[in-house]
Order: sequence, then structure tokens, then C-alpha cells
Amino acid sequence: MLELNNISKYYNTGTVNEMCLFQDFNLSVEEGQFVSVVGSNGSGKTSMLNIICGSIPVDSGTIYIGNENITDMPEFKRQRRIGRVYQNPAMGTCPHMTILENMALADNKGKFFNLRPGTDKKRVDSYRESLSSLGLGLEDKLHVKVGVLSGGQRQAMALLMSTMTPIQFLILDEHTAALDPKTAETIMELTGRVVKEKKLTTIMVTHNLRYAVEYGDRLLMMHQGQAVMDEIGEKKAAIRIEDLLERFNAISIECGN
Amino acid sequence: MKKSFKALFLTTAVTASLLGGCSGSSSSPAPGDGASYTIGIGQFAAHGSLDNCREGFLLGLAEEGIVEGQNLTVLYENSQADGGIASQIITNFASQKVDLICGIATPMAQTAYGVGKRQDIPVIFTAVTDPAAAELANADGTPVGEITGTSDKLPVTQQLQMIRTMLPDAKTIGIIYTTSEVNSLSTIEEYKAASGDYGFEIVDIGISTTADVPLAADSLLEKVDCVTNLTDNTVVASLPVILDKAARKNIPVFGSEIEQVKIGCLAAMGLDYIDLGKQTGRMAAAVLKGEKKASEMNYEVIEEAAFYGNTKVAENLGITIPEELTSSAKELFTDIDQ
Amino acid sequence: MTLLLGVLEEGLIYGVMALGVYITYKILDFPDLSVDSTFPMGAALTASALLAGIHPAATLLLSFGAGALAGCATGFIHVKLKVRDLLSGIIVMTGLYSLNLRFAGGRANVPVFTQDTIFENQFLADHIPQWLSPYTMALILFLIIAVCKVLLDLYLNTRSGYLLRAVGDNESLVTSLAKDKGMVKILGLAIANGFSALAGSIYCQHKGFFEISVGTGTIVIGLASVIIGIQLLCPENGTSFLNSLKLPQVRPTTAVIAGSVVYKACISLAISLGMEANDLKLITSILFLVILVVSTERRKKVKSHA
Repeated sequence: MLELNNISKYYNTGTVNEMCLFQDFNLSVEEGQFVSVVGSNGSGKTSMLNIICGSIPVDSGTIYIGNENITDMPEFKRQRRIGRVYQNPAMGTCPHMTILENMALADNKGKFFNLRPGTDKKRVDSYRESLSSLGLGLEDKLHVKVGVLSGGQRQAMALLMSTMTPIQFLILDEHTAALDPKTAETIMELTGRVVKEKKLTTIMVTHNLRYAVEYGDRLLMMHQGQAVMDEIGEKKAAIRIEDLLERFNAISIECGN
Repeated sequence: MKKSFKALFLTTAVTASLLGGCSGSSSSPAPGDGASYTIGIGQFAAHGSLDNCREGFLLGLAEEGIVEGQNLTVLYENSQADGGIASQIITNFASQKVDLICGIATPMAQTAYGVGKRQDIPVIFTAVTDPAAAELANADGTPVGEITGTSDKLPVTQQLQMIRTMLPDAKTIGIIYTTSEVNSLSTIEEYKAASGDYGFEIVDIGISTTADVPLAADSLLEKVDCVTNLTDNTVVASLPVILDKAARKNIPVFGSEIEQVKIGCLAAMGLDYIDLGKQTGRMAAAVLKGEKKASEMNYEVIEEAAFYGNTKVAENLGITIPEELTSSAKELFTDIDQ
Repeated sequence: MTLLLGVLEEGLIYGVMALGVYITYKILDFPDLSVDSTFPMGAALTASALLAGIHPAATLLLSFGAGALAGCATGFIHVKLKVRDLLSGIIVMTGLYSLNLRFAGGRANVPVFTQDTIFENQFLADHIPQWLSPYTMALILFLIIAVCKVLLDLYLNTRSGYLLRAVGDNESLVTSLAKDKGMVKILGLAIANGFSALAGSIYCQHKGFFEISVGTGTIVIGLASVIIGIQLLCPENGTSFLNSLKLPQVRPTTAVIAGSVVYKACISLAISLGMEANDLKLITSILFLVILVVSTERRKKVKSHA
């Protein structure tokens, strides 16, 4: 489904600050897999997502989705098959547009943005329905600007919007990190439900070890541009938070921290 | 709510500051016998010769017995070369039902004509180099409507004649002009057409901003025996730079009007803008008194140019101004006005 | 009355341009200086086109098209050549100054007093009754700006219009929608400069001549109109005095046009009070600063939302 082959990425090439992020990094994700990714700061988690999405170019290596090589495809074109939710709730919605307009925007993904009405009146009921499934009461605020919503409400909308049209991939970039624990819980439950319902192939980067353990059928721990732990299926199911913490500590000691 | 009030408040504050800054540019006429008039003078830019035009205009009116403060109210506005402001100034005159609008310089005259013809207000223009090209008069000089005035067309042939008299051996004359100034373009054409008759070749160099002047001057001074100046606004504003560079190379620079000679041009066969203004003022008086309509008068030019010379500059250059010129000089300056 | 009519006419002409500035400044959040040159460009092309015998109404479309092209150029320089937004506008503004002179046949001043215009032609002379004639210009301007406003409103509610609003609001969302945000920006700049050139065309026909200096300060008038209009009539997340008068909220496009008329009224007031143009520029800049300070409040709010 997704394959990263021999990816290399350097920062500040040719200067004294040259830093190697990835060297010969390989990753293969099967269709329908839900991968949780943990790792310390600077371990390359978010960079990996950016490389998959095309937000940053790679120095060498290839990226495949299905059988198609997308290494040189511009970011916006890759997004046709990818849905992405960012850490910052403001990144996934338009604050000056209404809830309804935001939903309509997301609904038009993959279609032509031509001179037809921006909001298809016939679709309003279905928007209302999917909003009510969030249980946040947003369905009654269709004409309210998204800018006045709370971070949690916006993140819920962002999740809804990014999965509204058929996509092959869902990328979650620490999408609960900026939320309070209760809202984070709600969003995470919602995520689990959406992924299950739509059978989405998902990569979730998180700092919350509990979410990493509870959600997903594969767990990846990143360190210095390498996957130091990669467990699938039953082995993944057996992992406990304590195991992860232990591993983390071991890595830290290696680094001399 | 609060914010929109704040905006309103601030707007009001600015309006109030406008009120505070109000200066009385209009003076009410004292009650007297006979008719009293209100006129609007719109000047396109602040500029020595244009200021002289305005001054002369009022003098011309006064000669005909229409005196500011007695039987004449003058509304005067300067648009500082801003076309948008110019049109608002004229609209403002029109709304005050002035008896006549005087437009100084081409864009202001055109604006006045555009508005005036809708409001039946006669327009008198001055300092318009080519009224026909500006469509303010027909090609034969007859009016296109209730508009007439005076042209400040330079006396090109007389200037060439004067240069020939002063510099018998000179072959080339250099001119710097701004490519966006329509008056300069038409004058250059005239120079080129007439220069052959006097045995000169014209070398012209176009600039677009004041910043180009020093480079243009350096390049021009390499190629010419003398330089002559137009009434080009941008170039005139940088004239000291050109004079300085020319003086170092001992190359004479001729002017086109009195102000330029005053600050260091060798000589000029030029217009006296005060005279031009006076002539315009007399035409305006005829219209105001109802003796003639603007549409019955062709626009006028000053036929005889006057000689202005600067003996100090001549001395610096080692040139003696010929007797035939000094004897007919309107004014001779003996010093350079910095 | 003449004064009010004059202010209204001026305001409506510049209102068309202000609609363009509304797109760049408010919707795209792009400080586009190219309007300073696309406005005279519309005027220059119109003067030449009228002299060439092109129908006055056609010059409006011609100008809009040419302005749109210039807008594309600004967009292209910014998006594809990766030049900063402000600089892209300055580059186009500077270059167009020379081109505008060429469009005007190498002349800095082109009169069209004797040509038919949208305001003065045989059709109007035949069909407009005498009593209405003082208001003809205002009515025609009103008609033109109403068409522009309605079309813009309709456009902003199409799918394409949604995308335009989204790109100024949140670029990364546009990318998420698998759309090239650069192309959307170029489109927005094209429409905005189209409006600016259209306003220039109307200006030229209204005044009866083209002058190279007409573009000076266009952007200032545009920004002032947008900010005055929006602040007074439909402030962000707030209620305007319209609400306290129990009047319905107006659309931003209407507010912008009203803002342009208010701005021109301020200038006219200042002239009536005997202010000199020298001081007018200072007053304009003070007015401008005041408005910007007011709108900084809004900006802070936007940031805190982010």
C-alpha cells in the first residue's frame, strides 16, 4: 500500500550544521493497517509524515502508494488520496467561513472547483447528520463561523472534513496534543470510530503512549531516524505502556541523557 | 458594537482635526457697487512658474477692475499633482456655483473642462502647452466649448536664434526631458524640426524619474556643446544638479524662463509667466463681465519672448553676452540665486 | 447637490477598484500594490481604444481582461518565481508604468473629450429625458457597480469562490483539498486587478482624459475604502451601528463600496474646509493609521483564534 524505500534526508546540507535525519529509511504499510508512531522529539516522526505528504522533499529514495511512484508528485496532488489532521486545530478548517461552508469545501475535494454553487443544498442534511454524529451540537450552528468554535470542536470538524471524501490514507499528526485531556479522549474515540467505519489505512503520530497502546494494530517507535521497535498484530496487542516506557528509558541512556 | 463606535469616534476625531486645520483661503468681498464674482482657481502642482501664473491671473483681473477682496471671491486649491484630488477640487468648485473656473496646467484644465461642460461653468486655462493636443481647443485655435485661455508654448525658434547669437560655433544642443511629460515631447519635436535652420543638431535624452537626472546629465554632457532646458517639471526640479555638472565642464546651460536664469542658467528667451497670467486674467475678466463668451475667444499665446540673462554665469564661463541681447533684455541677473 | 453627486460619482468609480482591493487585502490577505498601476492601465487602454473607435462598453471588458492579465503577472512572480508578495506588486507596478505610457501611444496625457463614452453617446442622448440628465452619470455608475458587486457576491459563493476565500483563510486547507494554492492566489489577483483596471477605464471615460499620474495613491484609496467600509458596516465578529438601528447586516462588498463613498466624502469635506492638498496627504495618512490601529485589534483576535 505505502512504501518508503531507502529514504535519505539531510538538513542544512553542506554547512557545519548538517544533520542527517534519515539514512536508508524503509517502511511499508499494508492496506487497512492502523499504525501508531511514538518517539522522542527530533526522532523523525513528523518529518516522516511530511515526507509521505510531500511537504518536504527527500534527498534520495522513493515513495510508492499502491504501485504508483509519488516521489516527485507535488504536495497538493498527493493530498487527493490523503487526509491529514494537524496538531494545530486551526490548520484543518477555515476560521472565517461558516461550518456549513467548511463542510461543503471538504465535500468538494476531488471535484472541480468551478462556478457551481459552493454549497449544494441537497447535501446540507447529510452534513447535518455527520456533524450530529460528533455529539458536539455543531449541527445546530451551521451558519456560525468556525473561528468562534473551541479547539476541540474545530479538531473534530477537521477530522470529519479530512475523511469526508474517499481517501486511501489518513495521516494524524499529534492531532490530540493541543487539546485538554477530556477533549483529547473524545477526539481519539471519534478517530477510532471513523477509521473502523471507513476502513482507512492510518498513520498516527502521538506522544500519548496510552493511545499508542490502545489504538491501532501496529506500533512503531522512532529514534534518530530509525524504527527501533516495530510490532504488528498480536505482538502489538500485548504491548503495555510500561514496556514502552522501559524502552524509552533504555534509548535515553544510550544517548547519554 | 464597541469597536464600531471606536471606529466612528476616531473618524470623527479625524474630521474634527480637519475642521481644526481649516485655513481661510477664501475671503469675502466687501460690499460695493456693481456685480461681484466668485471664481475657483485649480492649480495642478506647486511650481514656481505655475505660482507666477496664478499671481499674474489675479493681477490681470485687477487691471480690469475685478479685485480680490472687493468684488471678487477667490477659491484656490492645489492638487499637488494628484489627479483624483484635482477632480474633487473641481467638483467642489462646481458645487459652490462659481462663476468661472481657472485651470492651471494641462491635467487641471482638462478636469475643469470635463466637469465644467456638464455644469455650464466657463473655464479659462493657462500654462497649457498644446491646447489642441489636449483637446481643449480645435486645431485651428477656435474653442471647443465654453473654454479658452492661454498657452505657455515655448518660443523655440527665438531660443535657437538666441543660442546661435551667443555661441556662434556651437554645433550640438542637448536636452534632458521626462518621457512621461507630454509637453516636453511636443517641444522636443519642435526643437528637432527647427534646429536645422540654425545649424544645430539636437541630442535628447529621456529620463523617467528625478533619480535618473545625474546619470543622464553625465552622459549628455559628453556629447554636446551646450544644453537647453524645457519647462519639464522633473528636470526643472533637478536643475541645480545639471548646472553643477555643466559648470565643471564649462558647458553653458540655457533656460526656458526667468526662474531658471535666476538660479544659474546662462540665458533664456522665455515666457514671463506673470505676463501670461495677466493676459489670462484679462480674458477671464471679459467672460465674467459678459463682454464675450469663452466660446467666442480663441486661445492665446505670448508672441514676443523676452530675453533674460545672467552675467555672473557668463563671466564664469568666459562668455560675453552680446550687446544686441543685453540691450533688449527684460531682466539681467548679476548673481546666482542659490 | 452637485457636491453630493460629485462625491457619489467619485466614490462609485473608486468603489469598483475597492472591490478588487477587498479581494486581495481581505480575502487573500495579500498586500497587492499592483492596483496602483492597473488602474491607470485601464485608463490608458481605454483612451487608446476609444480613439481607435472601439465601442465604449467594450473598453470596459478590454480593461478588465488586461487588468486580470497584469494580476496574473503579479501572481506568477509571487507564486512561481517565489518573490515576496509586496515585492511582486512593486515589480509589476514599476514595469507597468512604462507599459502604460506605451498603451497610451507614448503620451502621458490623452484626451478623449470628443469621443463617445459610456457616459456620453448618442444612445443616451436619445433616450435620457432632460430632467434626468444631471443624474445620468451617477445612474450609469450605479448600474455598473451593482453588476460588479452582484457578480462578485455570486462568485464568492461558488465552489471556486469558496476556494478563494479558503486560501486567504488557511492555505494548508487548500493543499489538503488537493488544490494548488498558488493557482488560487493567481486567480484572486487576476480578478482583483481586473476590477482595478475596470475602475480605471470608467475613470478615464468619466473625466474625459487619461493622465499617467491618475494611479498615484490608488492602493491607499482602496485600502481606506475597504477598512472604513468593513469597520463601519460589517466588522468581524461584531455588531455595527446598523444592528443597533435594527437594520439588516450588509454584505462586505456593499460595505466596501460605501466605504469608498465615505472616503471620498471625507476628502471633499477637507477640500471644502480649505485644506491644501499638501495637508490632505497627511490627513489621509493619519486617517489610514487610525483605521489600521482599529483593525489591528481584529488581527490580534485572528491570531488568538489560530
